[in-house]
Amino acid sequence: MRNLLNFLAKYNNLLIFIILEGFAVFLLASGNNYHNTRFIKGIRGLTRGIEERMSNMRAYFNLRDVNQSLVAENTALKNTIERLARQEEILFFSVDDTVNNQQYIFSDAKVTDNTVNRQKNFFILNRGTRQGLAKDMAVVTGSSVAGIIVGCSDNFSIAMSLLNIDFRLSARIRSNGYFGSLSWNGRDISRAVLSEIPQHVTFGIGDTIETTGYSAVFPEGIIIGTISGFEKTGGDFFKIDVSLLTDFRKLSYVKVIGNLKKAEQLELEKLIQ
Amino acid sequence: MINSIARFTLIFIVLILLQILLFNNIQFSGYVNPYIYIMFILLLPVEMPSWILLFISFGTGIIIDIFSGTMGMHASATILAGFVRPYILKLISPRDGYEPGVNPAMLIYGFRWFLLYAGLIVVIHHTALFFLEVFRFTDFIRTLLRVLLSSLFTITFILLLEFIRKGK
Repeated sequence: MRNLLNFLAKYNNLLIFIILEGFAVFLLASGNNYHNTRFIKGIRGLTRGIEERMSNMRAYFNLRDVNQSLVAENTALKNTIERLARQEEILFFSVDDTVNNQQYIFSDAKVTDNTVNRQKNFFILNRGTRQGLAKDMAVVTGSSVAGIIVGCSDNFSIAMSLLNIDFRLSARIRSNGYFGSLSWNGRDISRAVLSEIPQHVTFGIGDTIETTGYSAVFPEGIIIGTISGFEKTGGDFFKIDVSLLTDFRKLSYVKVIGNLKKAEQLELEKLIQ
Repeated sequence: MINSIARFTLIFIVLILLQILLFNNIQFSGYVNPYIYIMFILLLPVEMPSWILLFISFGTGIIIDIFSGTMGMHASATILAGFVRPYILKLISPRDGYEPGVNPAMLIYGFRWFLLYAGLIVVIHHTALFFLEVFRFTDFIRTLLRVLLSSLFTITFILLLEFIRKGK
């Protein structure tokens, strides 16, 4: 017993170190499960005040850019209205039940916390299950891809940013329709890599990369970025460098897209598995 | 005693705020993320008992973790830094040892000593931190590069802050 006490007295620092380090690693392993929203709810309560103030400040500095993108979007929408209105004059068409045919539902949200300087980046939205958001909904900003919601609390959601080394997205080249898998390489926040494009495909620098809609998360045709370079890899595939359209440092107002027919689509896909 | 506790509390708050509000938002090409809050562990008095140092390290790390949403990551790295600090102090002790009641500051032991001291602890802390962040050994070289570049920036900022402190 005396020997044990002597031992403890001699190595007490090492002991405290091991205990604290073990506790910290336990926290690391259990607390970083981002899908566990209950944990986030607890912690966010503490830091929400400061974060909201910071994000309000950032939103103010971004107003000019936000305005510009809104103007651009307005113009595009006006053009669409104009085109549709013209159509109405010259064409007969039957009115469908629009609610039944609606596939995607849109909702707006504001980013209250965002990181870009980690390998696994996430951002927080100020809408949650009470506002109709759910896991696996798509997040877009303006007209380009931003991320996927991975968890919701009552009034907040956490989304995995495209700038996350675990993020995978089915994407295609708009000009020829060949599709591959898009992921972030962890290096540059304005670049991602599109792989699995066969080497016989022709494309040019500056071609648009968009979503395919195969995953039932993102609707078809949402822009991701443009091709900025490519190299050949082993196995007859191209590795294409994609310059991202979204500026993740300025993420503030985003749209959340839910797929109303996702359950149906997944149900059907199950049949062939 | 009370005076020095107040002083360290002030340093602590300033460093934490700098880290959360300013340095957490720095982003150069994904390689450089300075973590200057580790400077607080550097500045604590030499004769502070190791177990207090360990608990302070844990607290500092946890506070940074809470604000950056990375539970346990900074805490583990900072505890490691707090644990190795006494050994490093012993390793690079000046010829006539440390005077009692003196803090490990650049003003007292000189630039070269402080650079070595800060450099060793920052590199140890950053190595632990960045490898815990990616939690894998693939891309080893790239993580190592991030460690070295970030350490370089952290040390630069710590030296700058130390010069400002010295000026007072």
